[in-house]
Amino acid sequence: MDYQQLLLALLPDLLVVVALFAALGVDYSRLRGSRLAKRYEVACQISATGLIAGLALLVLQIAGTIPVMESTADGQLVLNTGTLTLKALLYAMGLGVLPLAKRDQITPQVSEYFALLLLATLGMGFVVTSRNLLGAFVALELVSLSLYAMTVLNQARRASAEAALKYLTFGAVSSGFLLFGLSYLYGATEQLDLTQMTGLQHSPMLVLAYLLIFVGLGFKLALAPFHLWAPDVYQNAPTPVAGWIGSGSKIAAAALLIALLQPVSDAPKLKEALIPALAALAVLSMVVGNLGALRQTNLKRLLAYSAIANAGYLLVGVVAFSAAGNTSVIFYILVYSLASLGAFGVVAVLTDTLGRDAEINDFNGCWKTTPVLAVAFLVFVLSLAGIPPLAGFLGKFYLFFAAIEAAPEASSWHDGFYWLVAFALIMSVVSLYYYLRVLKAFLVAPSDDGKASSIAPIKIGWAAGVTLCLLAIAVLALGLWPEPLLKLLSDLPPPGQALDLAQLI
Amino acid sequence: MTALLTIILSFIGALVCGLMPSSAYRRIRWIALLFASTGLAVSMVCYFNYSGGEFADLVKADWIPSLGIGFITGYDGISLPLLLVTGLVAVCGVLFSWTLETRANQFYAFYFTLIGGVYGVFLSLDLFLLFVFYEIAVVPKYFLIAIWGGARRQFAAMKLVLYSFGGSALVLLGMLAVFFLAQDASGEALKTFNLLKLQQGEVPAEAQQWIFPLIFVGFAIMAGMWPFHTWAPTGHVAAPTAASMLLAGVVMKLGAYGCLRVAVGLLPAGAQDWALWVAVVAIINIVYGALVALKQDDFKYVIGYSSVSHMGFVLLGIATLNLTGMTGAVLQMFSHGVIGALLFALVGTVIYSRTKTRMLDELHRLIDRMPGIAWVFIVAGLASMGLPGFSGFISELYVLIGTWESESLSGWIVGGAGLGILLTFGYTLVKIHEAFFRERKTSDPGDAEISYPAMTLPEKIGVAILLGSALIIGLCPWLLTDKISPSLELMLKRFPLN
Repeated sequence: MDYQQLLLALLPDLLVVVALFAALGVDYSRLRGSRLAKRYEVACQISATGLIAGLALLVLQIAGTIPVMESTADGQLVLNTGTLTLKALLYAMGLGVLPLAKRDQITPQVSEYFALLLLATLGMGFVVTSRNLLGAFVALELVSLSLYAMTVLNQARRASAEAALKYLTFGAVSSGFLLFGLSYLYGATEQLDLTQMTGLQHSPMLVLAYLLIFVGLGFKLALAPFHLWAPDVYQNAPTPVAGWIGSGSKIAAAALLIALLQPVSDAPKLKEALIPALAALAVLSMVVGNLGALRQTNLKRLLAYSAIANAGYLLVGVVAFSAAGNTSVIFYILVYSLASLGAFGVVAVLTDTLGRDAEINDFNGCWKTTPVLAVAFLVFVLSLAGIPPLAGFLGKFYLFFAAIEAAPEASSWHDGFYWLVAFALIMSVVSLYYYLRVLKAFLVAPSDDGKASSIAPIKIGWAAGVTLCLLAIAVLALGLWPEPLLKLLSDLPPPGQALDLAQLI
Repeated sequence: MTALLTIILSFIGALVCGLMPSSAYRRIRWIALLFASTGLAVSMVCYFNYSGGEFADLVKADWIPSLGIGFITGYDGISLPLLLVTGLVAVCGVLFSWTLETRANQFYAFYFTLIGGVYGVFLSLDLFLLFVFYEIAVVPKYFLIAIWGGARRQFAAMKLVLYSFGGSALVLLGMLAVFFLAQDASGEALKTFNLLKLQQGEVPAEAQQWIFPLIFVGFAIMAGMWPFHTWAPTGHVAAPTAASMLLAGVVMKLGAYGCLRVAVGLLPAGAQDWALWVAVVAIINIVYGALVALKQDDFKYVIGYSSVSHMGFVLLGIATLNLTGMTGAVLQMFSHGVIGALLFALVGTVIYSRTKTRMLDELHRLIDRMPGIAWVFIVAGLASMGLPGFSGFISELYVLIGTWESESLSGWIVGGAGLGILLTFGYTLVKIHEAFFRERKTSDPGDAEISYPAMTLPEKIGVAILLGSALIIGLCPWLLTDKISPSLELMLKRFPLN
């Protein structure tokens, strides 16, 4: 009964682990000396099988066909509809990265590439389901380490190594900060289980703990002023990896931030002390991200700055410290990640034969050579820019909605979050300038026929094509009909149903 | 459900046109004409079915209940003239783009997305839904101008879009404030975007003080309000003819409609506090637009600034806050919608495609060389100036009488508006003279005697539709005022002081 339950709860992860070893094993033994294309094909198939099986089980778990325990001791695992949905979406998006990775065959270390992808996905799944300080930290490190390693996979490029080194050093320092913060949090509350942390009192130690946590997670989320690694890593990592850094890892970090701040929501004095710090990070990120993006000529770098700006918007929902705020943050990071992954996907598909960094101008005339990709890109970028009826708009709207809801009765302009929302809105208008500049290349500019720089018509491949189509449809559908997902995500764990793992064993 | 068809048909039209191959531009323009005229037909049906001041043809459905958002559409006498003008301009836009070949499929995809958004705004009875359609209408404009536009199109397109989104940012903030602050009679928070419910409730007066300017200015930017009007002339001039017809004819009305329906309709106390300021800005619009039009050398800029000037009358009508003035405002939206679109069509396509220039000092006695077109333009110009018999005269008269009657505005406002009308006479006559009767200064005998071909059939039909509707409304204004006034009366009933 007990182990069986644990097994049922972790079966999806187990399948992914099996797939991971299968991919490595097959590549090392049977495919030794085979063609690169063949090895990519097989590794991708095995990984995809694992993720699909895991995903199917997760769906059954959400539907309740496979009963899972709500949570284990110390909050190591909290499996409710909300967390399971998030995990399932992460698996689905990880599945979407696979065909993109298969397309750009940048490294002879094929199975390692896919194994690392699966490991990162696995880690993300644990981050979003764990409510234990140590468990979540270890899971987050699993994600980060896999991503560091994947960034450097393209050994032919020196810039790639430089970016990876930057990523690693910054990341290591940030993990240090995060762990430091978590230890203070533990010291102040004597709890590792976030679900048990209630009735926090305002104390300098707790404030310090949270400030350190903000620094640590700020790195992962690419919040200014902790964003310095992001442009280089986004530009120089293999494009599918950059897409996964910009989507999956963001979801994990945002979910962790929300989980860590959950105990603060019923501690008014502590909340008051933390809000200025969060608001400052939000404003700074929006300014740095949006103004930085204005001058970029490299598309992936531009997307990095847009990621910084979007992390800033995200905090507008965080400062609300309400159930609506938390749901809005998770919803926003999800739709942002879908669009961001899609945009990177289009870039990956279009540039993997280019052999160098793609500038924005390289995409001129895309509407003529690959109209479908141009339309998909239009959907992704407009969603990032927050244009209705796409999901990005609804996400942003929900963030602002939650922020205003926190204190709607304003007697002066700095009461409540009207000023912060106004600032975010102004910055979204600024962001439109660079998003439209990118779309201009894709949809407006005539193709530079005969020039070597322009993107040649290429074969998309069915897997990548289906992935991009599904992402675009998801972005559109979540904008038009978000209610089901909002319902799933707002499901909070029912209190007092924690299963004690120690007793079971 | 009938009215909803306009939106659905437009988006289907966008999809169908977008999926056709661009080489099939001949078939595409017929399909476009079909979808546009069906939209017009549906608006006509709505017009004939409508009676009384209440909202008709209501469609209500839950959309995102967890955020208080519903899918609610319907129309009343205020939206009805605007539905009609959208249909008219959409049809004529296709007619005046009859020769378009480059990327025709994409052109009509963006064109119909824009029109669908516009219909959506006029039909939405949920603030969130209205906002969504409002933004849907903005993005296609960028592509229409940036891809098919004339000189400086990239700059103009970007400027237009950034101004529009700047405006909608203000609106969004105000909208959220309305959502959280609106109360019903017992002081309970409403927490809804449903316009029908919001109209029953009330936003506290001191909050209206600051929310009104946010929403009003946000929408009025799109209506070309001074000093945020500068997107309009550059945008109009750079846009391809069909897009500038839509911009002047319909998109600027989106802003004015938002001002009326949302800002004034939901925040009457705020409107009363700010009415004088709105009127002052409106007068500046009228006078400044006319003065600048007088100084322009580019024919299309003249029309662009005259649009700014005419939209001033709409704003002035709204500022009167009485039945006569506001009826005039709605009538002026219709009137400027058809006449403005006609002028842009004449200058941008009919004249330009023949002379290959829009610079007034390069035109040479066009009255002899294209007499038919010249006379059509002169009639249209006089209609725009406010010649009795055309809709412009009636609407401006209503606005002036409303201003005179208005309690919140003082007499010198009327004086300002009168000055504006005089200036309108001035620039219209001067520019008609410069364009059609004047001899070119640097006389270049080369092509001076060539006469130009007459109007083509699609152009003739387009002119007939637009000029005809201006004439019909000019002669029988009650066709519209009978629908507009009862709805406005209902809106005015909710005003605290009246």
